[in-house]
Amino acid sequence: MRSTFVAIAAAILATACSSKDGPPSGGTGANGGTMIYDAPADAVDVFPPYVGDLVGRFVQDLVYERLAEIGPELQTVGDKGFAPLLAKSWTWAPDSLSIAFSLDPRARFHDGKPVTANDVRFSFKIFTDPKVGSPVAPLLTNLDSVSVRDSLTPVVWFKKRTPEQFYDVAYQLVIVPEHVYGSIPADQLHTSEITRRPVGTGRFRFAKWDAGVRIELIADTANYHGRPKLDRIIITPTAPAAAATQVLSGAADFMDVFPLDQVPKLDSSSVARPMPQPQFAYAFMGMNPYDPKAKNTAHPIFSDRRVRRALSMSVDRVGMLHNVFGEKGRLAHGPFPMVLSVADSTLRVPPFDTVAAKALLDSAGWRVGAGGVRMKNGRPLRFGLLVPTSSSQRLRYGVLLQDQFRKIGAQVDLDQLDGGAMQSRVTGYDFDAVVTAYHPDPSPSGSKQNWSTAGIGPAGQNFLRYSNRDVDALLDSMSSAFDPARMKSYASRAYQKIIDDAPAVWLYDFVVVSAVNRRLEPAPMRADEWWANLADWSIPPDKRIDRDRIGLTPAKP
Amino acid sequence: MRRLFVARLIQSLIVVLIVTTISFFVIRSAPGDPFSYDSANITPAIREHWRAQFGYDRPLPEQFARYVISAAHGQFGYSFQMHEPVSTALAQAIPRTLLLTGVALGLSFFLGLMIGVAQAARRGGWFDRISSSILIFFYSLPDFWGALMVLLVFAYWWPILPAGNIVDPVLHDYMSGWPAFVDRLRHLVLPAASLTLLTMAGISRYQRTAMLEILPSDFIRTARAKGLPERQIIWRHALRTALTPMVTMLGLLLPVLLGGALFVEKVFSWPGMGMLAANAIGARDYDLVTATVVVGSVMVIVGNVLADLLHVAIDPRIRE
Repeated sequence: MRSTFVAIAAAILATACSSKDGPPSGGTGANGGTMIYDAPADAVDVFPPYVGDLVGRFVQDLVYERLAEIGPELQTVGDKGFAPLLAKSWTWAPDSLSIAFSLDPRARFHDGKPVTANDVRFSFKIFTDPKVGSPVAPLLTNLDSVSVRDSLTPVVWFKKRTPEQFYDVAYQLVIVPEHVYGSIPADQLHTSEITRRPVGTGRFRFAKWDAGVRIELIADTANYHGRPKLDRIIITPTAPAAAATQVLSGAADFMDVFPLDQVPKLDSSSVARPMPQPQFAYAFMGMNPYDPKAKNTAHPIFSDRRVRRALSMSVDRVGMLHNVFGEKGRLAHGPFPMVLSVADSTLRVPPFDTVAAKALLDSAGWRVGAGGVRMKNGRPLRFGLLVPTSSSQRLRYGVLLQDQFRKIGAQVDLDQLDGGAMQSRVTGYDFDAVVTAYHPDPSPSGSKQNWSTAGIGPAGQNFLRYSNRDVDALLDSMSSAFDPARMKSYASRAYQKIIDDAPAVWLYDFVVVSAVNRRLEPAPMRADEWWANLADWSIPPDKRIDRDRIGLTPAKP
Repeated sequence: MRRLFVARLIQSLIVVLIVTTISFFVIRSAPGDPFSYDSANITPAIREHWRAQFGYDRPLPEQFARYVISAAHGQFGYSFQMHEPVSTALAQAIPRTLLLTGVALGLSFFLGLMIGVAQAARRGGWFDRISSSILIFFYSLPDFWGALMVLLVFAYWWPILPAGNIVDPVLHDYMSGWPAFVDRLRHLVLPAASLTLLTMAGISRYQRTAMLEILPSDFIRTARAKGLPERQIIWRHALRTALTPMVTMLGLLLPVLLGGALFVEKVFSWPGMGMLAANAIGARDYDLVTATVVVGSVMVIVGNVLADLLHVAIDPRIRE
């Protein structure tokens, strides 16, 4: 009896630990292979007007297309650098208030229907329909309308001539098929089942979405731009610890943000390799100039520029960067990511000088009191600092900042919150200080959303309610400059003024380390979207493994 | 027996109602909502528009009344995170969790009983002392950490088993019959083993104590006096009697297993109820959170009722 049980148990265990059956046949040509992308979460939305999350954008950009593709330099002024995509060419009106796009007649949606000018007009309509509530709508405010000259010529009309009007339409407007989505009432699109099965014109087509488990995209072999080199992309939402293990063991092929503390394992791995990627993001400690308890009253601590500057000067930004990121970190130089076309690393950031910081606080009336905490009019120099639990780096920065502020007599109470709770507090202006990050798009004009007076309020994203008329004027001048050199000059002056006002302590510029399986041969990665050239990633035939060889044969029902 | 069953049923319904109400209000009182997720592109105005579109700007009592009416009609709301009705999301997740917890429950009971009996039979011996130390080690491990250790050992240091997911995300669809079964089994091993390790210790300690109370009994002494082999005394007579209190343990173990599943599923990317609930809480997916809490409580209640009924069935004294 006992020996029978032991034999059965051993057989089951041996079966479970044995390798799988032999490789499926197929997938041996020049094109082929499967890439498993361990994503940090499942997609929130894949229907372009609603896409706001990373994985949703990933799916959107592989399945759908825009009229033109921004170049590798991410130049946003005029149409310089843009490459044809759905539009094979375009013609500017003499007054530059309209652009006529000539659609590529070969372009087909994945259901076989041709792309027409009506689809472009429909896309503009649903992106800007208030009933749809697209987060992209505020970025299309300069677009007036889209008219149809003929079936292959949509004409986009603008309200005014701006340096980035081409970028506005080419980068922000994703073309969706009218014949698929046109029959759904605008206010029902958000929950419509059809929007979960995207139909686009991209080089990958949507195959399957098993919510919370995986999304499968397969090569569109009949695509008018040519089929992608890979057969299949599988996106699996995976917890970071499991994802790192899967990538290191070869069970998954790509992880976009590999845990920094485990990068040495990646360096020495024979299975996967590290790929550092600069990002369109920068992190900072923002200080609320208004009292969170009485919304329109000046903050008792942060409304004073001297205090903000003193706090900025009391932190060793370089030391903290090394502490958190080791050698892989990159210092922030102001209110912009370093990959932005107008970034300027020569701006004067308040230096690390605790003696000067203490003197500034003394001059502002904050004197050292009992217990080493500074006081002014009976109020201690004490404030709360929001940090997100979703970011280990920002959590560590919170602790380091707390320690450094303590040394100059400021007491910090750390408030650790999850993403949703923190977002709610920040957008409700219910905080003293916050360690957060901005993720602008490649347009320098995006700074206006975050740092101009116009960005304050429900339609903007200036959550620090930073306001400076000089900065507003400079950002406006920057947005209307057609010469990139002048644009950069205005941007530098605006950024320097913001830095001098010290609404924030500039902490770090985002550089993430991605992990890629060594059998994959990636194409160049773009800072705004690492997946922009994913259709050109490949796996050489001699490096293919079982999952690469299944080809495009449909699975069993 | 019937009266007892009806009484427990009414009691359970009341508990479910209370749990529904509490979970409904607690998740909504937490900061944030389904549309407060971190995304740079979404302005507060857009978020407000979406809130109004789905009625989250209405007063809480009104939202509750709408929820109760919908639930009474079998509609448990819409999951923004899963982009499907809550009932569909649950229908996919519940069987996965039942598979995981069912295997873990069976294994932990079987192994826990065996070890507990063996320890009691050799009380104070080397096996008792060493196995007790090992089991207490596993018992004291936090669920999350224990699962991570199992993952690290068997998927990275000694990579013989997959690190996550319920099946191979690519090849499983191309398998059938035995290979598909093996694939499923391979993916089940680590999460089930983690849950088993974390719960088995409690069962074995409980069983050991129960056996130690039974072994000095008169009927055991009589059996020995009659010359029955020690193995037969232990496994046939003592174990059968000591099993009765273990049925109560079954009811108590369900919440522990479901709680453990929350962490284990997250670590191993096992798309069951635990992962669903954890992600839903993070995303403030209100309807899904409420539904997972309610389903969890129903599962615990059903387990306890079954344990009670089983207890009544095997113990004639209670029936009387």
